[in-house]
This record gives sequence, structure tokens and C-alpha cells, in this order.
Amino acid sequence: MTDTQTIAAMRPASTQDVADILMDAARKGEPLAVRGNGTRTGLGNPVRATRVLELGGLNAIDFYDPDDLVIRAGVGVTLDEVEQLLAQKGQYLPFEPPRYAGLYGTDSARCTLGGAVATALSGPRRILTGAARDFVLGVEGVNGQGDVFKAGGRTMKNVTGYDLSKLVTGSNGTLAALTTVTIKVLPAPRAEVTLVLPATSVEEDVALFARMRALPLGIGGLARRVNAAGVCEVLVRVEGSVPGVAGNQQILNSLLATRGPMQVLEQAESQSLWAGVRELTCLHARPDELVWRVNLPATTMPAFVEQARKAGCINRFFVDWAGGVVFSTMRGVQPEVDTLRYRKMAEQAGARATILRAPDAVLTQFGAFPPVSAGVAALAARTRAAFDPAGILNPGRMTVQA
Amino acid sequence: MQMPEPSQAILSQRDALAQGLRKIVGKDWVISDDAQRRPYQCDGITAYMAMPLLVVLPGCAEEVQAVLRFCHEKGVKIVPRGSGTSLSGGALPLEDGVLLVTSRLCNVLAVDEHNRVARVQPGVPNIKITEAVSHLGLCYMPDPSSQLISTIGGNVAENAGGVHCLKYGVTANHILGIQAVLMTGEMVELGGAYLGAAEGELDLMGVLTGSEGLLAVVTEIAVRLEPVPEVARVISMSFPSVEEACACVGAIIGAGIIPAGLEFMDRKVLDAVSVLIKEKFDDRTAALLLCELDGTAVEVDALVGVVSDVARGQGAIEIKVSTTEEERQRIWSSRKLAFSAIGKLCPDYYCTDGTIPRNKLPEVLNKMADMSRKYGLDYANCFHAGDGNLHPIIMYDAAKPGDLEKAEEFGADVLIACVDAGGVLSGEHGIGVEKRDLMTHQFTEIDLQQQQMVKCAFDPKDLLNPGKMFPTLCRCAEFGRMHVHNGNLRFADIPRF
Ligand SMILES: Cc1cc2nc3c(=O)[nH]c(=O)nc-3n(C[C@H](O)[C@H](O)[C@H](O)COP(=O)(O)OP(=O)(O)OC[C@H]3O[C@@H](n4cnc5c(N)ncnc54)[C@H](O)[C@@H]3O)c2cc1C
Ligand SMILES: Cc1cc2nc3c(=O)[nH]c(=O)nc-3n(C[C@H](O)[C@H](O)[C@H](O)COP(=O)(O)OP(=O)(O)OC[C@H]3O[C@@H](n4cnc5c(N)ncnc54)[C@H](O)[C@@H]3O)c2cc1C
Repeated sequence: MTDTQTIAAMRPASTQDVADILMDAARKGEPLAVRGNGTRTGLGNPVRATRVLELGGLNAIDFYDPDDLVIRAGVGVTLDEVEQLLAQKGQYLPFEPPRYAGLYGTDSARCTLGGAVATALSGPRRILTGAARDFVLGVEGVNGQGDVFKAGGRTMKNVTGYDLSKLVTGSNGTLAALTTVTIKVLPAPRAEVTLVLPATSVEEDVALFARMRALPLGIGGLARRVNAAGVCEVLVRVEGSVPGVAGNQQILNSLLATRGPMQVLEQAESQSLWAGVRELTCLHARPDELVWRVNLPATTMPAFVEQARKAGCINRFFVDWAGGVVFSTMRGVQPEVDTLRYRKMAEQAGARATILRAPDAVLTQFGAFPPVSAGVAALAARTRAAFDPAGILNPGRMTVQA
Repeated sequence: MQMPEPSQAILSQRDALAQGLRKIVGKDWVISDDAQRRPYQCDGITAYMAMPLLVVLPGCAEEVQAVLRFCHEKGVKIVPRGSGTSLSGGALPLEDGVLLVTSRLCNVLAVDEHNRVARVQPGVPNIKITEAVSHLGLCYMPDPSSQLISTIGGNVAENAGGVHCLKYGVTANHILGIQAVLMTGEMVELGGAYLGAAEGELDLMGVLTGSEGLLAVVTEIAVRLEPVPEVARVISMSFPSVEEACACVGAIIGAGIIPAGLEFMDRKVLDAVSVLIKEKFDDRTAALLLCELDGTAVEVDALVGVVSDVARGQGAIEIKVSTTEEERQRIWSSRKLAFSAIGKLCPDYYCTDGTIPRNKLPEVLNKMADMSRKYGLDYANCFHAGDGNLHPIIMYDAAKPGDLEKAEEFGADVLIACVDAGGVLSGEHGIGVEKRDLMTHQFTEIDLQQQQMVKCAFDPKDLLNPGKMFPTLCRCAEFGRMHVHNGNLRFADIPRF
């Protein structure tokens, strides 16, 4: 394996160039590390590649049609640029794509839209508005044979042919080098308020989340974290129209009255608080710690966390998605042993434990992404081969060799 | 409609196959006599019919596995079927194929109130899910108009939409996990019964959703449940012209409002329904929009005000807002009855579902008027305006020679116009056999080949619902090889291997 960080990257400026590069690589059977601007190469397994294909140069916005809630852009357009453009029209990317630049020590301003689609990372708002996969309307990409293909479209509804747009979303560059993506956008809520209240036990807090979520209150964020002062607190974000949020806040006030003193954060303050949740800064992961994301049913979360903390597999953690995801750190003292134990615990809880950050050796041995059944793994391998028969696109990114 | 030539060898083994299948599902659940097979000859498109070789009704997922394994071994094709309401011929039987019907797989297996998930079998009618959870204040959001009959398995296979998908999304946005059986009989579990259960794996569930029964038979589904909105109110807005109504659609969304539903009906539809609902529409009305807003009472009241203002600004003649649930139901009844009302005006009608960018609505609607003149067939329009999903209703008389063909050509022209306007062939009904041969208008050969390669990964023998969705059968063996790009091999001087 070559360290892909140090290889000079090929940085094509057009889809045709990407196709030529891939066709050439396919012919030579030469594996490529595919990336946007390389701000999140830490996510996923190290790639066994000899050259780097960097798509950050495909950075033109094809069109943005606010009345039709759609934008199509080259994959290299930065998330910052997209979000600023949308904000001018009062719109946003509802899946709130995390950058994780802090996590990987990279430059958040360089995170690309293509990377957001390829990693399918979704922020705290997922419980209300959905995930990255729910907003990808269409893609153009180049498969492992150098063929330029498109899938999906730009309309809000589309069932024409297989939904390959969903399939490539979250495929971490293993199916195709994406060149353009078409994304559904939404009007940003006019009002946003976050209620901050003292946490109690994890069980009680999760039960509280369930009670709140049973009501149609437009809750676009429910998290539990330790704040800078070391105090554990519950965060409730309410979004919508100005009168709607005011009304919903009243309902929540009475529901939460017994919870002790409540702090109310509005607009910018609320936004920066949730940026911290989205970017996992509230985890305060130390550089030598591993960082994990565990997806699980909210109801099994408290017992899982309790067990994992006792076992020393969780050092710090916070909870997002109303308890449906636990972000945690693991001390880097004996990462191999702890990784194996943590994964086992997750498996027993019916959870999926993804390593967001770890030393290469750990990722190569255990895989960043949780294992799937043999049947699903085989089907996934056949599906990858349908795009990339020679296995030249990000080989090993999502799978570990048995 | 050209379908793959039935295999004589398979047809001749009918009795033996029936016997083999009876061993798996029990003798009552294999239908082989003509009279009982007849109701299964078509789905929602009655223009296309074929007698299935046999009809099999498995009673559990294991039986589905065994049936598929058996048919795979014998090289027999399978067509999955839910309730047969598909409007694209997706469930059209094959004469040499076994129709696998999911009606007996009709249980809601579990409701997890706290994680807001229900696990259901594929044959459960869509509405039954909401009925099973409504006492908890929850519902299953996607609501195709066929929801009383169409199954959740069929909804997953077609990625069905509904009136409320503008705000809440289509089927794919509400599926958390799928258990499915491949043609070989192998079972796969994708995702699971909680949000995020599929994180970090290839989104095979995403591609299975909307795959029209070509990739696998879905045997269990975990769906997301949502709290029922506290109130819903509908605004009926009439306009003196189609253009003004269309402009209002864009203006509402441009104002930052995503209604729960936003439907369009033209004058012909209004005239047809006014007989049924005994209500007259203002003479000046050329088109009517129904806009549903939901949420909490305060929120909805505020939005009703904004939308009414927008509509007035766009030239609305009359604006009616429901103040009670009864009024809301009454206003909606015009939309709900639209298709049956048109059905009373003509012997037959044909409805496609091309989808376009919203701002292209006037342009494409105008083209339709030209086409109507060209084919000499009347038409009406009643569609999901909020997401640009057209449902032109083309009226014809199947008894008149040539009428059906004209209607089909008219429909095809509309779909081509949709694609040319930057849209797609189908917003929610799927490709099936109906739009199959138009796929080349939307996709290049390479696009289609990439899709068919995925089919090969799931079903290399092309036994699962073949002849649907793609204008040509899969040639899985050939696809793997290096191929020619638009007739030219690039870098022709470079050695290929
Ligand atoms: C009722 C209850 C609920 C709890 N819930 C959580 C929880 O949801 N998540 C969780 O991680 N722990 C939780 N804890 C545990 C508690 O916060 C731990 O003491 C903390 O994580 C300490 O970890 P440490 O030993 O690595 O850090 P320490 O050695 O105690 O501290 C190292 C340094 O890091 C700072 N620090 C430690 N943790 C954090 C943090 N999370 N955010 C900011 N700065 C920090 C400290 O202030 C200190 O400067 C809970 C404890 C109780 C009693
Ligand atoms: C009056 C009417 C109104 C309609 N309104 C809408 C609407 O508003 N929105 C909308 O989207 N559609 C609508 N439809 C179309 C239709 O109802 C949907 O496509 C529905 O999802 C089909 O469900 P079904 O159970 O009838 O499936 P069928 O028609 O039996 O099958 C449809 C397809 O799904 C496949 N299939 C079925 N079950 C499975 C399974 N378990 N595993 C794998 N494949 C399977 C079949 O092979 C076939 O290709 C309407 C139809 C009618 C007749």
C-alpha cells in the first residue's frame, strides 16, 4: 500500500477528463484513491491505491433554481459556497451535512458537496427532515470502466429506472467518481429556538425524548451532551415559522416545566450550538482517542452506553437523534482490544458501530464500517463489480479483506 | 406490447411445476385453473393482459424463499404481485412465468411505539399500517390514492408517492429496513428497525426501493411512523387561467412554504366532479388549486393567511378555506372523485405520470392542448402540482379501432415532452411495460447499461420480472466486457488488455 497522502493528485477539470483518467486506469488495472478535496480521507478505511484522483476541480454550479427547490453543481463546489448561495434565497441543505474537519484536522472551508454525497453524512436534523440520501435527486458520474453515466434527474419525484442516485450516495467513492450532483433544497425555517435543560439519567432523558417526539412539534434536534463546564444537559431544537415555533415552545414549556431551570437560545446562538453537535466538537475528543458513531434503537441506548462505559469502551460520549445515535471516544491505549469488544457489544445490542477516526492499523484490521452478513456483503461486492469490475475505485474503502 | 417470447419448454412443464409448488405452499395456494387465474391477468392497466402460467400465494417468507429457489432451479420466471394496482403494467403476468402474490403475507408484525417503527409484511395494504398505529397518535405518511388497496410491498417496489409526499416525502424516505429474497432463494436483511440502521453500508435498500420487482421479492419492511399533525386545513383557490394557477404554485413554494399537498384540477375535471358533488364552480374558473397545510393550529393559521395572500396576488378569483374537518373532507372530495368522474364521461381513459420542473408546467400543459388536437382525443388534467407530477387523463374508446393506439401515442408524446422539458418519464407509477420503450429517450445506452448491470448483480439469469423497465433484456455475460462508447472506442490505439 502507498500512503495516498503523499502522492501528487490528478485534478481533472471536466467530466471528460475524469472519464479519460478512469479509462486509462481501468486499462492498466491501476487502483485510484478518489476524493473531493481530501478533507475527509480519515473517514473509512485506508485505500490501497497507487494514484489519487481529486475531483475538487469540478467546481462549477450548473444551476440553482430556488423556486423549484433544486441545485445542480459540480462535486467540487464547497459546502460553504452552496450554503451561502442558498442562504441568499432563504434556503438550506436540510440534511445539515457535517464537515468533520475538526475531527480530521482539515480545512472545513474546503469540504465539498460531492464529499457530502459520497459519505452520506447527515446532521442532527435528520430526525425531522431526513438524511443526505433523501435529498439527492440525481447524479452524473464515471464508473470504473470510464463510462460517463447519469441517474435520477432534477424533479422532486422520479421513479424512472433504478434509483442509482441513492446507491452511489454513501458509497464513499467505491462505485463511481461522481462528477455532478443534483440536490433538493428547502426553505430554511424562519425561526429556530433551542431549549437547554439539565440532564438526568440517560434512561429518563431518552424517555423524555420519546414523549417529545410523539408530538408533532417540529423538533429538529434532540441531543444530550456535556457542556464546557462539565455539566450534562439536554438540547431541544424547535424550528418552523415564527408563530409556529412560539406556539410549540409553549407546549414544550409546560411539558418540561418540572425539569428545572431552562435556558432558551435563539437563532445565531442556537445555530452555533448545533454546529457544535453536528461537528462533534462537543465530544472534545483528544487527538489520541478513537471516535465512534453508534446507530441503535433509542430505547436500547441507555443500557448499551452503561455497559460500554463500564467496560471502558466509551470514554466520553454524547447522544444525538433523540437517542438513536451515540458519538463516543475510546482511549487509544489498547485500541485493537477495545474495538473488538465495542463492536461485539454493539452487535449484541442490534447496533451499528462505525469508527469515524482511528489509527490506520485499526481501520485496516477491523474496518471503519460495521460488518454486514455474508449474504449482504456478497451482494454488495457484486453491485460494486457492476460499476467497477476491475476494482480500481477506492479499493478497500468500505470493506476489509477477510 | 412486445413481451419476451414464452418458452415452450416451460409451458409444457406446467403440471409438474404446479405439483412442485404445491409441495411448498400447500395445494390450495397454487392456482392453475383458468377461471381462477383470470382475475390476475392484468394489473391497473387493463389494456395489457396475459394469463400467468401459475399463481402462487406463499404464506410466509420461508415459502417465498422455497418458491424462488424452486423456480430458479427450473429456470422459471417470477412476477411478484401485491394488489395489482400498478398503473404501468409492473405486475403484468408472463405466460411462462409464475405470478407470486403476496396477499397472504398481510400482517403488521410489530409496532415499536417509542422508536416509532412498524415491521410489516409486504401484502399489508398501505392504509392498514396507519390503522394499526392511529391509537398511538402515529401514522405512516406516504399515502398513494390507492392506499385502501395497494400493498406496502407494491409501494416499496414502485416507490409510491401520494398527495402528501410534497412535504413528507415518498416511500423511499420512510423505509428503514427491508428483508428480501433474491431469485436464488437467498434472503438478505438490509437496514433494520430503527433510523440509521443502514448507516455505513451500500444503500442496497435504496436501489431495491422502486426496482419494480426486478431485483428481489420484498418479504418484510420496517417503516417509519410519524406523529399525526394536530390540524390540517385545505385552501381551495380558483383561477381564471391555467397559467395563473401554475404561477401560483411557484409563488407559494417561492414564499418558503411547503404545503402538505398542492393539487391542480382543470375545468374539465371540475365540470365532471361538480355533477358528483353537487357543487357548482364559478364560471370564470379555468383551474383550481387545492393547498393543504398541516401542523399545529397556530402554525397552520399563520400559513393559511400567507398562502391566501399569495393566491390573491396571483389573481385568484375565489379562495375558500376549510374551518372544520368536515369542510376539509368536502373540499378534498372533488379531488378524490376526479378520476371516477372522468370515467363517467368516456368509455375509457389512460393516465400517465411524467414529471417536470414546476416552472415548466404552463409550457407542457400548452403542448398537451396541441397534442389533443393532433390526435383528436379529449383530455383533462388533475395532478400533483406541488411536485410537478402530471397526470394527464386521455379519454378514448377502446371499442373504436385505433383509439387505444392513438391514446398511447398521445401519452407517449406527453412523456417525451416532459423529458424534453428537463423532467422524467415517471414520477410515481413506474416504468413497467407501459413506459419501457421510452426509456431510451431519457437515458443513454450507457445509462441503461449501468442500470442493467445492477440487475445482473441481483438476478444474473434475468428470471425476476423480465421484460419490464428496460427496452432490451439483460445480457449479463456481455456487460462485463470492455465496450464501445457511442460507436467509437476511445483511445483506439491503446491495447485493451
Ligand atoms: C448523571 C451523569 C451523566 C453523564 N452523562 C455523560 C454524557 O452524556 N457524556 C459523557 O461524555 N459523560 C457523561 N458523564 C460522565 C462525566 O461527564 C465524565 O466525568 C466525563 O466524561 C469525564 O471524562 P474523562 O475522565 O475523560 O475526563 P476528565 O479526566 O474528567 O477530564 C479531562 C478534561 O476534559 C474536560 N472534559 C471532560 N469531559 C468533557 C466533555 N464531555 N466536554 C467538555 N470537556 C470535558 C474536563 O473538564 C477536563 O478538563 C455523566 C456523568 C453523570 C454523573
Ligand atoms: C386508483 C389508483 C390510484 C393510484 N394512486 C397512486 C398514487 O397516488 N401514487 C402512486 O405512487 N401510485 C398510485 N397508484 C399506482 C399503484 O397503486 C402503486 O404503484 C402501488 O404501489 C402498487 O401497489 P400494489 O400492491 O397494487 O402492487 P402491484 O400492482 O401488485 O405491483 C406493482 C409492482 O410491484 C412489484 N411488487 C409487488 N409486490 C412486491 C414485493 N413484495 N416484492 C417485490 N416486488 C413487488 C410488482 O412486480 C410490480 O412490478 C394508483 C393506482 C390506482 C389504481
